[in-house]
Amino acid sequence: MVHTLNKQDINVDAGEDTKPKKFIMWLFVVSSTIMFGGWTSFYIVFAASKGKGHGLVLPDAFMYSTGIILASSVCLFLAARGLRKGDISLSRIFLLATMVLGVAFGYVQFDAWKSMVNTGAVLTNNNAAISLIYIVSGFHLLHIFAGLCIVLNAFVGTYKEMSLEQRKYRMEIASIFWHFIDILWIYLYVFLLLNS
Amino acid sequence: MSTISLHDTHNHDSHDDHGHHKETFLTKYIFSQDHKMIAKQFLITGIIMAVIAMGLSILFRLQLAWPDKSFPILETFLGKWAEGGRIKPDFYLALVTIHGTIMVFFVLTAGLSGTFSNLLIPLQLGARDMASPFLNMLSYWFFFTACVIMMGSFFIQTGPASAGWTVYPPLSALPTAISGSGLGMTMWLISMVLFVASSLMGGINYVSTVLNMRTKGMDLWKMPLTIWAFFLTAILGILSFPVLVAGVVLLIFDRSFGTSFYLSDIVMGTQVLPNEGGSPILWQHLFWFLGHPEVYIVIMPALGISSEVISVNSRKPIFGYHAMIYSLIGITILSFIVWGHHMFVTGMNPLLGGVFMITTLIIAVPSAVKTFNYLATLWRGNIKFTPAMLFAIGLVSFFISGGLTGIFLGNASLDINLHDTYFVVAHFHLVMGSAAIFGMLAGVYHWFPKMFGRMMSSKLGYLHFWLTFIAAYLVFFPLHFLGLDGVPRRYYAFTEFEFMQKWLTVNVFVTWAAIFGALAQVAFLWNFFYSIFRGKKAPQNPWGANTLEWTTPVEHLHGNWPGEIPTVYRWPYDYSKPGAEEDFIPQTVPFSQTMSSNMPHDFEGDVESERIQREWEANNKAADDTEKLD
Repeated sequence: MVHTLNKQDINVDAGEDTKPKKFIMWLFVVSSTIMFGGWTSFYIVFAASKGKGHGLVLPDAFMYSTGIILASSVCLFLAARGLRKGDISLSRIFLLATMVLGVAFGYVQFDAWKSMVNTGAVLTNNNAAISLIYIVSGFHLLHIFAGLCIVLNAFVGTYKEMSLEQRKYRMEIASIFWHFIDILWIYLYVFLLLNS
Repeated sequence: MSTISLHDTHNHDSHDDHGHHKETFLTKYIFSQDHKMIAKQFLITGIIMAVIAMGLSILFRLQLAWPDKSFPILETFLGKWAEGGRIKPDFYLALVTIHGTIMVFFVLTAGLSGTFSNLLIPLQLGARDMASPFLNMLSYWFFFTACVIMMGSFFIQTGPASAGWTVYPPLSALPTAISGSGLGMTMWLISMVLFVASSLMGGINYVSTVLNMRTKGMDLWKMPLTIWAFFLTAILGILSFPVLVAGVVLLIFDRSFGTSFYLSDIVMGTQVLPNEGGSPILWQHLFWFLGHPEVYIVIMPALGISSEVISVNSRKPIFGYHAMIYSLIGITILSFIVWGHHMFVTGMNPLLGGVFMITTLIIAVPSAVKTFNYLATLWRGNIKFTPAMLFAIGLVSFFISGGLTGIFLGNASLDINLHDTYFVVAHFHLVMGSAAIFGMLAGVYHWFPKMFGRMMSSKLGYLHFWLTFIAAYLVFFPLHFLGLDGVPRRYYAFTEFEFMQKWLTVNVFVTWAAIFGALAQVAFLWNFFYSIFRGKKAPQNPWGANTLEWTTPVEHLHGNWPGEIPTVYRWPYDYSKPGAEEDFIPQTVPFSQTMSSNMPHDFEGDVESERIQREWEANNKAADDTEKLD
């Protein structure tokens, strides 16, 4: 006989169930940080041994995108606060704003690449430091795409029939990840600015 | 996700309102989210990959032993890769590359950690399942896909990757360098990216489970050493595998998009390549930053398993439980700062080489602590020579004999001589190859009853052990001498050099020993697969062990324990405790039930418990005295 037991029967309350999963997200943040750490240390060793960095004036678009991603983080923070206060519609608006800003960020990054290509600093380059700019910003953009999916998941959650606990859980997962990729971009941008 | 299925024949009436959960063949055996089933999937896939990799090694051993002889049968099976019955040089390189890759990553990382972390973390910690069963399932399927792609590269025109398991550029970065650098290399890279994703999903899950889902009473210092080893292994993976991904991504861009991360000043034939400014040494740094922790990812679970098996079968507490944990932590930390010892001959600054040499020699200290603790645990134990125990002792043997040569190789000045010779091959095949395989086999024999509810045949187990143990030494020990004489590894036909020709007879011997060792594995394979279906039914606790997994019912159920999860009261190594009724006290037995065997330090300074114990002892003594007077 195979059947299922409800959670109550096995003494697991919903609150405890989400903790390990949130922890998984933190561990993912750690491993992702290390991957980017691998690239930036490549950059440092490369630049030190060749005595030169990328040597570019970074396109202004990177500055704008930094502003945009910061604004999106603020929006997500407000969305989470809205949910905590029980104001679902406010939370929805800010989640939507976060996603719109996320997409805008992606667009501006493409723009930045375009202006880099126009100045001749292309991906296929004999200066690996310049190629690395494309690699780190490209893989960061992949993270943005994943982040958009996770924020969308929280957004859909506000429309679905589910408990406040579950909505909060989705929101927290989205917050951990989105604020992480925000900070990650700032790190990368500052790194590239300082190591030209 | 929020429900747990349960096989229950008695009181299902009371649960009927929860609705029936239908388990189909697909959800039970294929896309299972049950950690025990995923563990079996990892194990069986790992065994299949191990058999394949062993077969590859026999093929290249044939070439090494009889470089001028033709084996027409090879042409029948391998076609153009063995034209005229002789392995082609290109294919030889592919064989060593894929043998190494499969053994290191697919067998000893995924097959070992994937099997035993999945099986034992929830069972020994008292959890219903992993932190994320879904991610766990995904981890297996990424691994499986990686296996399929890696093996798929044998079926393409240009053959599998051939640049060695470390895939150093430029050989790996230029698709036209050798035939294996083409599509085969691309498939290798794709396979490895999937593999790393699988490893990360698994490792993240293990760490989260260990830190968040232990049962009541199971504090970190009451965890079995197996769990400590799996936990630290997973941390190593999380911290080092992403660096490999970073390196692989750059390699993929060098191969396919014309960047110059690792390439510079290359002339192919008469053509000068446009790539400038890169450095292949940077790949080695990124690779070995993963690569060195990787060898500890391979050996630490095996060490954890043998700690458990040796303690259980010596019927003695593990010697130096805390020292064992601190040495594991020491190995974990040190393993990140020794990678340079793989690169002593890359033109490294001698000062930096000295630093890496010192860190490498320091890592011998925690390793030696572990070895001495194993020996001290065995010392005057009431040893039960089960097959698992033999394999665990075998691990200790290989760990010592292979570890000693590590001290030679860790010395920068000696390494200049020994680098890339068969001495290195002998060293790592003993210390991480054989030792880790023996740890894995110890685990299989020990936990087979838990996995399949049946026992394996001990007789075949003994046969398997002795044949494998002897064969492994006969294969790998002579290679030391080749290496000392300067015979280089990875060469297709080193007999072309006159001074090395004398080693041909040794190679013939080694190849025969390898064939003999490979045949011995039939005893294992037969025993394993036969016992799954026809083995003797396993009792609840066949080895008389203390850990939690033996309190679960023999018949598996998703959720592990039918009722409440048991609470843990004591550490897992109370074997042969003076005054106890039996020679083992499971972790679930409270001290109040073992008054006659409690020791003052058991209470960890709890004054109330100590008072009760003293009172009981005083009463008991008085009762004894009156009994004696009568």
